[in-house]
Amino acid sequence: MTTEALRVGTGTAPCEDSAEAVVRAFFDAYRAHDVERMVDLCAEGAGFRYVPFEVWGRQRVLYGEGKVCTVGKVIWTTLIDAFPDLANAVTSLRADGDGNVAAEVGIGGTQAKDFGIIACTGGHYQVPHLFLFHVTGGGLIDDIVAYWDNVGWKKQLGCLEVD
Amino acid sequence: MSARSLAAEFFAHMEAGDADEILGMMTPEATVSLVPLNWHGPMAADGASYLRELSRSFPDLLVRVRRLFVTGDNTAVAEITIDGTQADAFLAVANQEKHFDLDQAWMLKVTPDDRISAVIAYWDQNQLYRRLGVKRLDKITITAG
Repeated sequence: MTTEALRVGTGTAPCEDSAEAVVRAFFDAYRAHDVERMVDLCAEGAGFRYVPFEVWGRQRVLYGEGKVCTVGKVIWTTLIDAFPDLANAVTSLRADGDGNVAAEVGIGGTQAKDFGIIACTGGHYQVPHLFLFHVTGGGLIDDIVAYWDNVGWKKQLGCLEVD
Repeated sequence: MSARSLAAEFFAHMEAGDADEILGMMTPEATVSLVPLNWHGPMAADGASYLRELSRSFPDLLVRVRRLFVTGDNTAVAEITIDGTQADAFLAVANQEKHFDLDQAWMLKVTPDDRISAVIAYWDQNQLYRRLGVKRLDKITITAG
């Protein structure tokens, strides 16, 4: 086993409570479908990685990885467009003293448009997610990583193809 | 022992396939939630079953801890990458001797007396199926070359 890169982010860390408050505000904005506010809560150049987000084409694979202001904003906007009643509920929130926050969040919605390979059948989904944030001492999110299971998501929406 | 050290030990045992050593780090009533498998139950049953199947199916398993932090409630939160070469059926996926790597996130809740009382793990099972050659979610046992 190897161990490396044990923490992410830069700058002075906030206290646990303030980091948690920023993350709660982020999900409040997400629940209100206020993508601009979600981006405003993030530092310029904030990192973004949705681990399960892989689009396999004939020539290359697209990953949900990059910056909040580009990749993240596009994914959130597209998701809200495809699932107009998209909602979230934070089920647990844990933080350390260095700005790291782990949030378990249930996310669900009813499909109104095709989303990637998931053709719209009007189905509803509810999927547990784990988000890992890093919040700077200035109270801005500078890193977002998320994990969820696409099998559960796709099965609920009637899509049975792996790719 | 700190929660950080305990987590490092947990993943070292995972890599070595030492399910019994991992169970020895748990409280007697420790629970596990393997979220993508919808397995929620005792670590001694569900958790051990998963770990034993993982080590049997991937005898060359490597576990790399990419990020580790400990929250105020003494929960170790880890992002890891596991990789290995399939040598036996795994979670109903037939063995095609494919190499796979998979990013996962684990949370280990640690008691004041340095025991793990709860384990929660997240990953994308679709990525696992893709890497092992599964084409359809309703036909997990049928794989493509």
